[in-house]
Amino acid sequence: MEVPNSNSDVYPDAGSAGGERRYPLEFTATAGEYFRIWIVNLALTIITLGIYSAWAKVRKKRYFYGHTKIDGEGFEYRANPIAILKGRIIAVGLLAIYTLTGRFETDLHYVLMAVLLFAIPWLVVRSFAFNAHNTAHRNIRLRFDGTYGGTFRIVAVPGVLVILAAAPLYFGRFHPDMLKTLVNLALLPMLGIGILYPLIKARLVKFVLGHHYYGATQFKMELSEYAFYKVFFAAVGIGFLLIILAGVLFGVVAAITTGATKGAAAGAHPVIGMAIFFVLIVIYGGYLLLFTYWSVRTTNLMWGAVGIGPIRLESTLRARELAWLYLSNIVAVIFTLGLATPWAVVRTMRYRAAKMMLITTGELSGFITAESAQVSAVGEEVGEMFDIDIGL
Amino acid sequence: MIEFDAIYYDGKTSARTLVHAQSLGKNLFVFGPDVTIKVPIGEVRADARIGSVRRTLNLPGGAQLQTDDHAALAALFPRVNRLETWVQKLEQRWHYVLAALVTIAVFSWWGVVHGLPLAAKIVTAWVPINVEAALGNQTLATVDKSICGPSQLSAERQQVLRSNFAVLTSGLNDGYNYRLEFRDCKGIGSNAFALPGGTIVITDALIKLAENDQQITAVLAHEVGHVRNRHGLRLVLQSAGAAALITALAGDAVSITALAVALPTLLLQTGYSREFETEADTYAFKRLKEIGLSPKYFAEMLTRLESEHAAKKQAADEAKSGKSSDSSPAFDYLSTHPNTTERIQRALANQ
Repeated sequence: MEVPNSNSDVYPDAGSAGGERRYPLEFTATAGEYFRIWIVNLALTIITLGIYSAWAKVRKKRYFYGHTKIDGEGFEYRANPIAILKGRIIAVGLLAIYTLTGRFETDLHYVLMAVLLFAIPWLVVRSFAFNAHNTAHRNIRLRFDGTYGGTFRIVAVPGVLVILAAAPLYFGRFHPDMLKTLVNLALLPMLGIGILYPLIKARLVKFVLGHHYYGATQFKMELSEYAFYKVFFAAVGIGFLLIILAGVLFGVVAAITTGATKGAAAGAHPVIGMAIFFVLIVIYGGYLLLFTYWSVRTTNLMWGAVGIGPIRLESTLRARELAWLYLSNIVAVIFTLGLATPWAVVRTMRYRAAKMMLITTGELSGFITAESAQVSAVGEEVGEMFDIDIGL
Repeated sequence: MIEFDAIYYDGKTSARTLVHAQSLGKNLFVFGPDVTIKVPIGEVRADARIGSVRRTLNLPGGAQLQTDDHAALAALFPRVNRLETWVQKLEQRWHYVLAALVTIAVFSWWGVVHGLPLAAKIVTAWVPINVEAALGNQTLATVDKSICGPSQLSAERQQVLRSNFAVLTSGLNDGYNYRLEFRDCKGIGSNAFALPGGTIVITDALIKLAENDQQITAVLAHEVGHVRNRHGLRLVLQSAGAAALITALAGDAVSITALAVALPTLLLQTGYSREFETEADTYAFKRLKEIGLSPKYFAEMLTRLESEHAAKKQAADEAKSGKSSDSSPAFDYLSTHPNTTERIQRALANQ
């Protein structure tokens, strides 16, 4: 035990300044150990035709939770594999029906699509409730009490806009002659989605985290939508710059290659191919950078807004550092045929943890527990299977 | 007697207390500041061990002991959660890890090459033909709404081709209700395709391209092969299975790059549809001979399709480089049916 021999909870802390104590989030998992867990999980999942995947999920999560620590104390993941298995069976059944009816263009598929659309808030709520209920720290569970109605109110307006944008495009399939008009018709709702996006994202963050509890203590959110818009417009600006840059680069490359093709007509084709490849890489890199910038800045805003009793959080992720991690991960995973995946996952999580800090004016020992009802895993598993992720 | 240090959480507050635990007979004793507990070991629920993660003992009433003393807990709870204890042993030794790696490689290879096709065949056998036909009708309705218009062929010409088709399909007695549909489809060029359940669609362009009716019958025999072998349904099932397998394999990598799933799935699907083309060809050769036609007509038709395909492609290429303005993309029968030279040779060898 690395815990000092003291009576209960009067520990000297890592750093304290002005009555505040700072606890870094520690991540102590190692790539070597996770590699072994990962590969055994994978082998058993394949041999059992997927049945073991429920146990695999729990072991993986328990490993990562246990190695995510505050003041030396790890988190616990308490989900029951059998509950997850039941949820997965239902989810696979639904996905199979959805996919099959989709491949053969049946009407049932569109009915299911509509049902799914209305089920999304439910799936999201149930998934958060399941994960919160099964997460504990210092033997106190988290809890989520957001409702269907609460989620629905937030996603209703963008949902209607998505339908308004998708419907003309869908009918475009059957009326190719009217395609241009229909595409124009979709433009306005699409613009609306773009402009509303930061607001929706901010409101979702506020709603989801604000309905979380650590034991009996509710998370307090102090979040400004304005800050999300600032990040959004900065991202749009960077996007425009990147487009201009890519355009200039493309122009230069085109000029060079036409020069080259004039020299040797036939032999120059590989040069053009390489040039296009180069430009594509630049575009992909730009996209990665932009996406990372938006997610990093909003993640920092999100955690920075959280208050749990005397605790507040501070997230200081940097887009450049994370983009570099992502890029090097992709390269490593591709060149090792996937075997570097555990290493990539662990180093990314370690970085994310290292940039998170808990700042408290009180004691970590002062929280009390609350009753929390059992939650089934169906929402979590169906949501995962249909790739519904509201991306917090 | 087994003893270990632990952290005690009462489950009511987040306060932690350092305690010492001792087993004595059938009981576990816990001592610490303000804590004295005696609990039967049988009522303590230990979690399964995972690597170096601190272990948790759940006491009756919601309190917890957490400890890093893995050896003590292994001795105290040797029989807890047998499955995960066994898994933990696998994870501990590198040679088991190596075995897992080999298992994954062999099993996925076998699954992709033999397992999935076999499973798809078995599942397909359980799907009633009328369900398949209903799926096919839905697809035809969508095709009519989106890419195909009514045929420009005269009623007499359609009648002739329909009676040829009747000869081709008569006496098959395989439960399928074979139906030939003529369509004028601009987007897909000279083409013919089988829908699940027995409907076969042939485009006006393909009929125009054929030199004689035997060549048309040869193509239709190939499509009948698709129907009889239930390729439509099997391809969907196999591809879905392959996608599931790859998602399982890529798992964590998905969050790293979506390409890890998309590309292999596409490659596998192409591989599967190639196999089905060969299977349909084999059936076509056999059936053509049964009704007294030579498979050479199939080879002739493929040759004609190929020269048309090459011409279209050249036109498209020229259009791209700006030399010609009029072109349609080279999307036709051959772009959906690869490996033509090999197939022509097989047809000629089967005469």
